[in-house]
Amino acid sequence: MLSYILRRIVATLPVMAIVALFVFSLLYIAPGDPAVVIAGDQASPEDVERIRQSLGLDRPFLIQFGSWVWRILHGDLGTSIFTNLPVSTMIGQRLGPTLSLMIVTLLLTIVVAVPLGVVAAWKAGSLIDRVIMGFAVFGFSLPVFVVGYMLAYIFALELEWLPVQGYTPLAQGFWPWLENLILPAVALGCVYIALIARITRATMLEVLQQDYIRTARAKGLGQGGILFVHALKNAAVPIVTVIGIGIALLIGGAVVTESVFAIPGLGRLTIDAILRRDYPVIQGIVLLFSFVYVLVNLMIDVIYTLVDPRIRY
Amino acid sequence: MDRRTVLKGLAGASGLALTGGLSAPAIAQGAAARTLRFVPQANLANFDPIWGTQYVVRNAAAMVWDTLYGVDSSLQPQRQMVESEEVTDDGMTWTFKLRSGLKFHDGEPVLSKDVVASLTRWSARDPMGLMIKALQQELTAVDDRTFKLVLKQPFPKLLYALGKNNSPCAFIMPERIAQTDPFKQITDYVGSGPMKFAKGEWVPGAKAVFEKFADYAPRQEKSSWLAGGKQMLVDRIEWVVMPDPATAAAALQNGEIDWWENPIADLVPVLKKNKNISVDIGDPLGNVGSFRMNFLYPPFNDVRARRAVLMALSQEDYMRAIVGDDTALWRPLPGYFTPDTPLYTEVGGEILKGKRDLDAAKKLLAESGYSGQPVTCLVAQDQPITKAMGDVTADLLKKLGMNVDFVATDWGTVGSRRAQKTPPGQGGWNMFHTWHAGADCINPAPYTAIRANGDKAWFGWPTSAGTEKEVTSWFEAKNLDEEKATINRLNKAAMDDVVYAPTGFFLSYTAWRKNVSGITKGPLPFFWGVSKSA
Repeated sequence: MLSYILRRIVATLPVMAIVALFVFSLLYIAPGDPAVVIAGDQASPEDVERIRQSLGLDRPFLIQFGSWVWRILHGDLGTSIFTNLPVSTMIGQRLGPTLSLMIVTLLLTIVVAVPLGVVAAWKAGSLIDRVIMGFAVFGFSLPVFVVGYMLAYIFALELEWLPVQGYTPLAQGFWPWLENLILPAVALGCVYIALIARITRATMLEVLQQDYIRTARAKGLGQGGILFVHALKNAAVPIVTVIGIGIALLIGGAVVTESVFAIPGLGRLTIDAILRRDYPVIQGIVLLFSFVYVLVNLMIDVIYTLVDPRIRY
Repeated sequence: MDRRTVLKGLAGASGLALTGGLSAPAIAQGAAARTLRFVPQANLANFDPIWGTQYVVRNAAAMVWDTLYGVDSSLQPQRQMVESEEVTDDGMTWTFKLRSGLKFHDGEPVLSKDVVASLTRWSARDPMGLMIKALQQELTAVDDRTFKLVLKQPFPKLLYALGKNNSPCAFIMPERIAQTDPFKQITDYVGSGPMKFAKGEWVPGAKAVFEKFADYAPRQEKSSWLAGGKQMLVDRIEWVVMPDPATAAAALQNGEIDWWENPIADLVPVLKKNKNISVDIGDPLGNVGSFRMNFLYPPFNDVRARRAVLMALSQEDYMRAIVGDDTALWRPLPGYFTPDTPLYTEVGGEILKGKRDLDAAKKLLAESGYSGQPVTCLVAQDQPITKAMGDVTADLLKKLGMNVDFVATDWGTVGSRRAQKTPPGQGGWNMFHTWHAGADCINPAPYTAIRANGDKAWFGWPTSAGTEKEVTSWFEAKNLDEEKATINRLNKAAMDDVVYAPTGFFLSYTAWRKNVSGITKGPLPFFWGVSKSA
């Protein structure tokens, strides 16, 4: 297993290199110029040119790319054109809120979606099944920002139970940390709860038709044991796969959620960097995200072996 | 590896990331009333007011760095860091003396050498600074509190330049910081203003914190904009960046923030209904909407085509598209200068007044030789103001019978493409939309957009000899009457040649919780004199 993990990690290097080249090239040919944004609305073309020179943006593509890759290889993601702060510092400042949001959303999703899917499969065709699947359609259909605004209006403005916006680090207490994340996690989690509930239901329906389930029932095993110990465990591989894909999708969803709830996370950093053409920051974040994607896939492969002993690498 | 090992590892890694390096100061309950939470107009992405000329940087910098002079609400420069000044009869040698007791946030005294270095850096970036630099013969520190500026010829607007609120302001920094290349960012944010910048708490795009500077020595006069005594009545000011206006509105209603600099017009009715919130016009100098036509290529290289557009243009359409139906927020602007300021004039603005004459405009356009070639119109969709104006312009041009090549893009791309002088079909453009802060349109000094010196002018590269002649005359004007006469002629010349198309004058609101008092109207949010009760 260890050698497999090492092989997979080594295999990520060419992937990351291709991502790096792709991102750098894309930004190079993309319209827009950070020097123009920095110079402001009243700047003269000479001012803009001078700023371009000071940022090294007037140098040929290959020199810029080579210099960037050299720094990356030395562990330096560069410095933001606008804030003059190291990109790694900026990412570090934003990692906590995004990670918090993703963890709470993921836990909420699993805790809610898997039981819903199991119950829907158990009661397939009943009113309960239809209600759950109706909720799933609802969750799929509503955009994150609409859910976000609705939740903020009801639970923050009207009921005054939770804050509208912001983020409090875990270091300042568990409840202050959690209360800022409840509404964003619910808003962001809706679509994933719907997705995973549907997948769980479909997979469970298939598993519940298997002979060994009939045998378990014949042996007099309780319904809970059959559903959650025998059936769910064998339905876990596709569910874990979807949860893994969901983690990757959460990164995209976090961009909107962080804007709606003013959470200072990586999503907002990404948007700000793109709008300002802050190339080093965009490059750093895309590299990080692509690394996370690769890592999540690796983790899913490892988890397969834990939930299904037949799988060996 | 078993399941438990995996789970323990994940939990450990998560906990580390969540708790590490993210601590923010806890605010004690009693301190809440001494902390003002403010939502600025934009993200404070950098904090060098000379390098970055965005208004949001200027607004934050005005707390941290002080100026030698400060323009007050009557647009007159008043002494701020300066105690006295002397000027020779020929107007060419100025000797300034600093107030005693001025200190930087690091405890060091403010000295003349700091002023010399600061003005040198500022004058490399500021349009008025560049003019002073061109006339400058000598700028030297005479002693610790006295410095001297010798010019080659008089510059009557010198004190205004040193105290103006247009970006970049002539902020005074310690010499070691001011010696930074003006085209590179500073990394040390030590000033002598009433608030210190808490660099350690700065999260660009999310939060910036300012703390009261205990050793600040305010002037005794009443404060007025950048002039007078800057008395800080709160200990801490937190800028909370909120990109989503609906979130900011909800946070203000919920009491999570105290002051929102510029709520969008759509949300103002909701805020006005809330008994805990006050809403009023924020900046009486407002904004001037504009679109610029490219003088280098047909059809707008012909003044008749530019005039045809102006003849058909309805400023009401533009203003309603930007601010909605709240008539208190806009007014027509048949001129180029900010309404209700001393130099405001409508001389030459008849073309924008009265009923719109589409037929006459079409006839004039035909006379210009326009024959259906595409008109490349750049419209940034991510800026509500430019998007609204772009839609109105597209409709206007179509009504005139023009073939509109509507380029819907983002502001970053407009910023880059508008600098292209290539023909419209080869990466260039025919028109783009923008707006100017009214504070920048009160006179020609900060007003880059009014300049019409061809290749050296702002994007669109307008050429208007009459306009340029009057700009020069204004700088030489000795009193307000002379200035007014010059501006009348300037406005007419610029209108005749259509240096750009003004689309109207519009204002915006500011909103705050009623437990906050002392907020004044002005071109930037002034935090001195602002207090908060529990």
